Amino acid sequence: MKLQQYLGGLENLGPVNLETRVFVSEWEKRIFGIHTVMMAESNHLDQALPKYPMDEVSTTFDEMWTWAHLRTGAEGMNPFEYFKFRYYEKWLMGISQFFVDRGYISAEELAELTKHYRAQPDAPLPEQPNPALKEQINRYLNLGDSGLRTPAVPPRFKVGDTVYVGDPKAAEHSRLPGFLRNKRGVVTEVYPGAFEYFVSTGPDGLEGPQHVYCVSFDVADIWGEEKSEPNTVIYADLFDTYLQAPQ
Amino acid sequence: MSQLFQYDDERENASAAKVRALEALLIKKGVLGSDSIDTVLSHFETVAGPFNGARIVARAWMDPAFKQRLLDDTPKAIAELNFPLGMDGAEGEHMKAVANTPDTHNLIICTLCSCYPWPVLGLPPYWYKDPVFRSRGVREPRAVLREFGVPIADEKAVKVWDSSAQIRWFVVPERPANSDHLNEEELAALITPEAMMGVALVPTPKAA
Repeated sequence: MKLQQYLGGLENLGPVNLETRVFVSEWEKRIFGIHTVMMAESNHLDQALPKYPMDEVSTTFDEMWTWAHLRTGAEGMNPFEYFKFRYYEKWLMGISQFFVDRGYISAEELAELTKHYRAQPDAPLPEQPNPALKEQINRYLNLGDSGLRTPAVPPRFKVGDTVYVGDPKAAEHSRLPGFLRNKRGVVTEVYPGAFEYFVSTGPDGLEGPQHVYCVSFDVADIWGEEKSEPNTVIYADLFDTYLQAPQ
Repeated sequence: MSQLFQYDDERENASAAKVRALEALLIKKGVLGSDSIDTVLSHFETVAGPFNGARIVARAWMDPAFKQRLLDDTPKAIAELNFPLGMDGAEGEHMKAVANTPDTHNLIICTLCSCYPWPVLGLPPYWYKDPVFRSRGVREPRAVLREFGVPIADEKAVKVWDSSAQIRWFVVPERPANSDHLNEEELAALITPEAMMGVALVPTPKAA
């Protein structure tokens, strides 16, 4: 059980944060920007929906980088570390480590330059605009990266079917909310087409285009009759691999 | 409000320096252009933001037939409004609207991360990304909503939508009372991203 995949339902956490700002510090905008540019120049986009003209984009970045990659990093953290660091701090840790691991920068030069900007926070950045990349960023934000594909097989379930959520081995990444494992639900929608997640999740089960279903869960069936609010239903969009027919 | 994430200046400044160093190195190495990040940020000031969602909701309030089309086929209905490019772009490829009614209150959540309908609402606020909301929202939505200032009676149905696959959900909140005197633009000005994710109600406007 990997905690980050099981956050739904944790108790004893105190009051919710009511902050409505997206960013609470200016620096957070920069790491958000870096992640988004990485997604916009990911080397899988020439085969995405749409097929982006990546050969027109000049960049030294030659990696696949998607939401799955960012999330995998977060899910891979020791849970105690995960809760110690704020949202964008985790992004900064994960992304800078990625660039070190992939050899784009060294840990030493990052540390050295960090000291420089710590001493002189307003020291300039290099001036090196990249108009072709700018165009690709706008294209990516406007056109997206849909996982919609043609299904190879018909859906296994139909609206109204009772289904049970599976309990696959904990993998480095999952799109199965942990709190739904082994629970009983009812299919309320079969989404048209099939969807392919950005990456394969190995034993977790995401591999290739799959049907996705909206499944409703009575909260009493998840948390227990005495321990749930009345008249409450949870809906989750679940990939086919996560669902089983009743035995 | 949780104090867990009130960090001191020292910690903020350390992060600021590190991200600036990272950006500088990535520009130098040709991974980013010096204009790349600002291109991203500009998109969320001018193209994708809650100003879009507010327009959509205001139109739904003025036009019940449009509202039904919005619920039946969200992207198709949005396309009727002639937004500039991008309404089915990044994190909006597959959006779906659900409507609050006198009988039903909808709450949107992403327990696994922070999936959010970028084109209609822009970027997610802190409360949505916070692990406390992500954990408690599916266990005790009414208790959470009370903390947001939204009391929901036990008799009213609550539907919680966990964005765990391709769908990016958002809420059409109920139109407030005493709003007949407002035009569409004035209605849109009342609608917050919080109302469109289900943690706020749209406030009753001042009388005409």
